[in-house]
Amino acid sequence: MEQLVEELKKNIIEVLNLEDLQPDDIDAAAPLFGEGLGLDSIDALELIVMMEKNYGIKIKDPAEGKEIFKSIDAMAEYVAAHRTK
Amino acid sequence: MNIIKRVTITPAGAAIDGYPVPVDGRGMELLTALYRHTAGDYPKFFKMDPLCRLGFVATELLLDGDRRNGCDDRAVILFNRNASIANDRRYQATIPHDSEHFFPSPAVFVYTLPNIVTGEIAIRNRYYGETACYILENNDQTIIEEIVGQAFDADPATTSAVAGWVDFNTEVDFLADIFLALKQ
Repeated sequence: MEQLVEELKKNIIEVLNLEDLQPDDIDAAAPLFGEGLGLDSIDALELIVMMEKNYGIKIKDPAEGKEIFKSIDAMAEYVAAHRTK
Repeated sequence: MNIIKRVTITPAGAAIDGYPVPVDGRGMELLTALYRHTAGDYPKFFKMDPLCRLGFVATELLLDGDRRNGCDDRAVILFNRNASIANDRRYQATIPHDSEHFFPSPAVFVYTLPNIVTGEIAIRNRYYGETACYILENNDQTIIEEIVGQAFDADPATTSAVAGWVDFNTEVDFLADIFLALKQ
């Protein structure tokens, strides 16, 4: 799981162009939206694309997405349980 | 119209009223270096497309020391030739021919309009006045100043404007030539 968390941190930095951040700067338990990384709605769309592209996971239910993108730890748990690639 | 300050940025360097800005780098690296030299605390810069990055750092240099917050009497009126072509190419590159791997980027798509740069500048500086983006054949100062003058005449509430040429084609072919103008 730790490896997956690190991988997600790197992927998020890359797809969201968080150029001033290193993986170690990101708290995996911190909220991704609002506070924490302070991501916005376009970032959320980009994360949905990343989940499908990298892990074969299609997120269609907004309520489900809210839980999955709560934090990187939450994303990692969901990816580990549902990934198809 | 009284032009009180001018900023130019080319791939080779930047200048304020003709005086070079002491920053190293060329092309996109120059824009990042200018960002670190001016703002440095606005991470959204890295999400912007090249045209917005150019307009952003040009206005950061232009507005250094000037009022920035909550103006509704300042317009942002920009002009260019290549619209959002640099970012349009980037967006196209995220759309492969293979439909099984169809993952166009939403974050790139939102910048596929040339007037987004005026919005980014207005958001950054909390300007609530008029914003406009015109497509011209060339950086023709006569036409540009005429249109900015018309904006002053048409809207009595507008007393100043960030205006001028902000054009980005490629990393080696871009130009910002913007000015701060006051209504006379």
